Amino acid sequence: MNSSSYSHDQGVVVKKNISNYHVRIHDHVEVCGMAMRLRKELSYSAENPNASKRVVRDVKGFDKTDPIVVGDRVIVANSADGMRAIIEILPRLNQLSRQDPAPGTHKFEQVIVANVDFILPVFAVADPTPKWGLLDRYLVSAESMQIPVIIVITKVDLINDRYRELELVLEMYQRIGYPVILTSSLKGTGMEELRHILSGRLSAFVGKSGVGKTALLNALELGLGLRMGRVGNGKIGKGRHTTSAAEMVPLSFGGDIIDTPGVREFALNNLDRKEIAKFFPEMRPFIGACKFRSDCRHDEEPGCAIRRAVMEGKIDPHRYQSYLTLIKEI
Amino acid sequence: MNSSYSPIEGNSKSYKTKNKWHASRIKRSDGSEAGFLCCHCHAYVSSAEFLSRVHNRNHCPYCLWSRHLDLYDPGDRLSACKSTMMPIGLTVKFIAKKYGEGFGELMLVHSCSDCGHHSINRIAADDDSDLLLELFEASIRLKSNERRLLKLEGIEVLNGSQKKLVQAQLIRY
Repeated sequence: MNSSSYSHDQGVVVKKNISNYHVRIHDHVEVCGMAMRLRKELSYSAENPNASKRVVRDVKGFDKTDPIVVGDRVIVANSADGMRAIIEILPRLNQLSRQDPAPGTHKFEQVIVANVDFILPVFAVADPTPKWGLLDRYLVSAESMQIPVIIVITKVDLINDRYRELELVLEMYQRIGYPVILTSSLKGTGMEELRHILSGRLSAFVGKSGVGKTALLNALELGLGLRMGRVGNGKIGKGRHTTSAAEMVPLSFGGDIIDTPGVREFALNNLDRKEIAKFFPEMRPFIGACKFRSDCRHDEEPGCAIRRAVMEGKIDPHRYQSYLTLIKEI
Repeated sequence: MNSSYSPIEGNSKSYKTKNKWHASRIKRSDGSEAGFLCCHCHAYVSSAEFLSRVHNRNHCPYCLWSRHLDLYDPGDRLSACKSTMMPIGLTVKFIAKKYGEGFGELMLVHSCSDCGHHSINRIAADDDSDLLLELFEASIRLKSNERRLLKLEGIEVLNGSQKKLVQAQLIRY
């Protein structure tokens, strides 16, 4: 590290802990703090606006959640105590966020990853059982940010006679336009295909705890040796939240991948109820064709084109039910 | 087919005009379904099992109308049609040894008023017996082509010769 480069540097956040952030600047990683002004929304005194040191009149807001996430491009500078501190977050290209599950009247936004090229929702064939409603939430959230999605199915070595059921679901998602990759970290199935997709891009694994996100990463990048847990310690089919913080891992074949901790719930954030249908690609051709046009909620309204499409088999009824669940929740 | 009994007629009107979203299903504070307002006669129907003696309340006991909500299996709630289902007759579902040899369970036959889908449903303990008998009488006059269509779907609507069976079954309830 050259001391001359200690002025203002641009980097990417690759890992964050409770009080510090690991920022990759050029080829090395630095541990940085965060300037408190990033948490606050300040209002300045109108007097003497051109003064070099403006007087803060009021603190308008204070973000409870961390404003910096893995994948953020940031500006790092020296702070007064000689530490390195993030002083600015550059505008994000995109982000995957959910509603903060913490109890409270005000629902904060919790950003999971930012500036990614791909989102890879990971679901296991079994242990834990795939919840397709959760996948639909990821898909809607990614669609709202126009992030391409690739569905990754892990633990295909556990496939049994109930596979036909799973196959039908996956075929449905493929028909909609979402690519699906079947993988097994144990047997190495699908790794070449996955390497080809991830190469040269920044992607993020998301999904429930115990589906095998970290195991997949360990299988992709041999020798990485990230800590993995086992499913079913007393609670059958449930993960143990072994990964507790998001971390960006550079891949030897090019590109980076963000391994995120498993989530139990994924409530949509900052989406308008009227816009949700737009984020279901198979529903888009029918939007505006309803009797009540843009006022149609596609629930019980007469002359609804989307409901008709479901009845005619053009839209999967399970996806339609996911849509109804989402609009009732928002 | 309209029921004369409507316990919360005033309430049902206010529900309808205020917010149709909440008009059809009424929930308890824990989120479970307490009941619903009939989409045909607008009477409040309780989902309580001790009243109906069935696990899933399917139709209004006062007018016997139902809604097209299920698609593949009973209770899956996957149908997007959601239209009203008119009771068109009675049939018998034969379940091995449940009510003795050769004796089946009396079932209601519903027809969707929008898409024409047919379904058979269990009669609940609190269903209006007079209305069920009226329905049976009316179903005798069901058109032959409709009977044929139902038969193709495996539903055989009871005819006039089975009146005694219907009466015997309805006394049970």
